[in-house]
Amino acid sequence: MSILQSVKNLVRSKSIHVAYVDVGSCNGCDIEVLACLSPRYDIEQYGIYVHNNPREADILLVIGAYTPGWEEKLHTLWEKIPDPKVAIAVGNCPISGCLFNRPHTLVDPPVSKHIPIAAEVPGCPPRPTEILAAVLSVAPLVFKDYEVAKR
Amino acid sequence: MAFPIIPYIQEVTRLEWLRKFFFVKTAPLLTPPYFRGFPELTGKTCTHALFCMMACPAPGAIDVIRTPGGWQPRIHMGHCIRCGLCVEACPNGVLTSGRILESMFYDNTRLSFSFRIDVNTDLCMGCGNCAVACPVNKLIDAQMSHGGRASTDELLLKVSEGKCHVLHVEKCTGCKTCENHCPNEAIRVSRLLEAVHGQEEEV
Repeated sequence: MSILQSVKNLVRSKSIHVAYVDVGSCNGCDIEVLACLSPRYDIEQYGIYVHNNPREADILLVIGAYTPGWEEKLHTLWEKIPDPKVAIAVGNCPISGCLFNRPHTLVDPPVSKHIPIAAEVPGCPPRPTEILAAVLSVAPLVFKDYEVAKR
Repeated sequence: MAFPIIPYIQEVTRLEWLRKFFFVKTAPLLTPPYFRGFPELTGKTCTHALFCMMACPAPGAIDVIRTPGGWQPRIHMGHCIRCGLCVEACPNGVLTSGRILESMFYDNTRLSFSFRIDVNTDLCMGCGNCAVACPVNKLIDAQMSHGGRASTDELLLKVSEGKCHVLHVEKCTGCKTCENHCPNEAIRVSRLLEAVHGQEEEV
């Protein structure tokens, strides 16, 4: 492994930038993601920063059951994120639609039909510790030795 | 100036302080055992009463499957919302989650079920699929002909005069078989869940 690669690994393990997007949820999971920023859970001590700007992001947290308004927007947003990138589905809604996935509703779950999802956090809503654990466990799998793996 | 600048600088230049300031993280938060998690099996025998499936508000979150060791409820992550209603509804205490079972024991509460069947007479075309499919009807009158007509009035559902009629709604077990077999979505089963206090005999 080259020195440059090890430097990249070190930097990427300490600076994970997160954007979150709500594709039609009840805001319960948004509140739990927001709670991760609070002093009790404090994701910044693990080097995770929330910018909510896809151009700067490494990880996209997808929340919600995918309403029709997102049909052309979500994939565009996913394209805007520079490599290496990873999407995590937070909550039941992007996994299965949960309570919204009933007859005569317009939602179109799962979100993995539309963008590639690397990890799923079940729960309605998931606890902040679970969201944090998902981000911390999926980040080294994708970001460590990214250039070596790509080649 | 009584501001103690020297002790302050001495304090922050201590190696121990610097190491703490830059490297110490808060301890990882553990989920306390009394939090309601995904329901888990207690090891008691499931009798396939299906109260868990009836109480569950999330579609597809729980089902009861037959395993070599007997019936067993299965929780589907990604569907389950951890409300704990299946834990409360189970008459045998097969599932557990957090301290729901303990608090039910101390507070002496349980869930009582009743069911209501609504037939939309505009949509119902009297095909009798519901009455024939109904497992309660099957126990009462195994000889029921196709079309849902029968000679006895002790049935839960019966077709007469071209429409489905609900005769004894108190016999309904909430299985929703009629709803699944209706070609017109004319019949709807709604469950009424009620938390009651005290023993079954007193209510």
